[in-house]
Amino acid sequence: MFRHLGTKALLAFTVLFFAFIYVPIALIVIYSFNSDPVNMMRWSGFTLDWYRQILGLRNAASEAALYIETTEQLLAAVKNSFIVAFATTAISTVLGTSAAIALYRHPFAAQRFYRVLLFVPMLMPDIVLGIALLIFFVGIGGQLGLGTIITGQTTFLTSYVFIVVSARLAGMDRSLEQASADLGASEWTTFRRILIPQLMPGILGGALLAFIISMDDLVITYFISGTNTQTLPIYIFGMLRRGIKPEVNALAVMMLVFSFAIAFAGLYLRNRKR
Amino acid sequence: MSTLKARKRQQLALLLGPVTLFLGIFLLLPLAIMVVYSFLMPGLYGGVEWTYYPHNYGRILGFADPEFEVFDPVYLSIFARSVKIALITVALTLLVCYPAAFQIAALPDRWKNFALFLITLPFFASLIVRLFIWVLILRPTGFINETLGALGLIDRPLDLLYTEGAVILGMVYIYIPFMFLPLYASVEKLDWTLIRASQDLGAGAFDTFRRIILPLTLPGIAGGCIIVFIPALGNFIVPAVLGGAKSMMLGNLIEQQFLAARNWPFGSALAMLVMAVVLVLLFIAIRQERADQPGSGHA
Repeated sequence: MFRHLGTKALLAFTVLFFAFIYVPIALIVIYSFNSDPVNMMRWSGFTLDWYRQILGLRNAASEAALYIETTEQLLAAVKNSFIVAFATTAISTVLGTSAAIALYRHPFAAQRFYRVLLFVPMLMPDIVLGIALLIFFVGIGGQLGLGTIITGQTTFLTSYVFIVVSARLAGMDRSLEQASADLGASEWTTFRRILIPQLMPGILGGALLAFIISMDDLVITYFISGTNTQTLPIYIFGMLRRGIKPEVNALAVMMLVFSFAIAFAGLYLRNRKR
Repeated sequence: MSTLKARKRQQLALLLGPVTLFLGIFLLLPLAIMVVYSFLMPGLYGGVEWTYYPHNYGRILGFADPEFEVFDPVYLSIFARSVKIALITVALTLLVCYPAAFQIAALPDRWKNFALFLITLPFFASLIVRLFIWVLILRPTGFINETLGALGLIDRPLDLLYTEGAVILGMVYIYIPFMFLPLYASVEKLDWTLIRASQDLGAGAFDTFRRIILPLTLPGIAGGCIIVFIPALGNFIVPAVLGGAKSMMLGNLIEQQFLAARNWPFGSALAMLVMAVVLVLLFIAIRQERADQPGSGHA
């Protein structure tokens, strides 16, 4: 009897748990279509104006209340975010994968050191890495901008790729590699035709993770982006500090849709691979 | 034979060279410079003087430079507040995730996978967007105040945003997946025959929990707590977006020193303080883990 009650309570609690995560998200999706320009959470009718404005499609109503700074600024931020994400993903995937393969293939003395080295950026609070990089870049006279953002993000994204690829390597069947070697394939052929294809899901997973984290990184980028270069999270952070406009809401929903789409794509790819 | 060895070494160098060079220059060197900076004298107009200066730490810990100021415990109190907020965040996420982990572990496979997907999904969503949601909910014209007002329950808006409570709420919201996943890993591994045995032998629910369930899930609990505490302690985004002047945390203070006050050595010293706490925690965690796994040999 009590046990039954307990199970019910636990289920109810879990439902609330998910409600806590998703009701807020549902709320901003709904209210991003609210036409009230001042009182964003008081429903006064359906509109697509805020989305139009974000996309730079102006109409009479939005012309009168031109809230968003400039669409150009936003588009520049989006462009920067993509440039940074593609560049960091490419570099960190190469670095992280090669480190993982090296540590898997060749047990050697300094292995422990490398494992610690690759874990440090993940366990360190972001802000510490951010200011350390700021001091360093300014110290060597570097111009803060896209270059420093890409370099800075790569230092910790490499760790994420390393961990995902290492996990894949640990669960891999070594007999195929041995068979390939026994049948007379050169090391390079074995590497290219056996190891890399088997490892591909791990590499892609690591790259996807790096891409998402790069697109979302705020703290480290904030310190090393300088005054003239904005990525999308920094642009939104700035907007939030200056005051909230309905367009931010529409922008937030578009970003949610984008990141959820990536998550679904990742899930789909993983399920298909099996 | 020696050529084979040489080739191996060559391969290793090829694979590890780039990453070693990169992390050496852009991770270890900057961190080392930061350590040095924390012991240098701040220059008058930003920058540093290259003389040994222990008073950056002194300003925080009680031996401020007598030439410029008397010791003010304000930095210590910000440190204490940061630790407090991080600890409350850890406690609340644990309280929320622990029961949910049991429920989800008991679901049929299809539902289980769906639930796990739902929990990891927010991780993909932008952090700043998830915090922005709470601004819209908590502010004076936000969802809660509008709803309560429309129901006639309040005459004027409650002060929800820019409070310590808002900061904690935001932290709990963004760190739930961090806590849940390690917890779930140990809950799912739980051997239910032990629990049934304990009940069959007459132990009450509380005793079974305390003596069987809690010890067996302790690794997950410890892991989740550490993974949440570390980023929560140095967080400056959540207090910057949801907090007010009275809920300033270490992260905000560090940001100020670097981007507004331009006292980089002091900012570095504050960052070192955060690092020190993190390192102590990790050290304890690693030792504990070794003690728990006697089978894995001693290292």
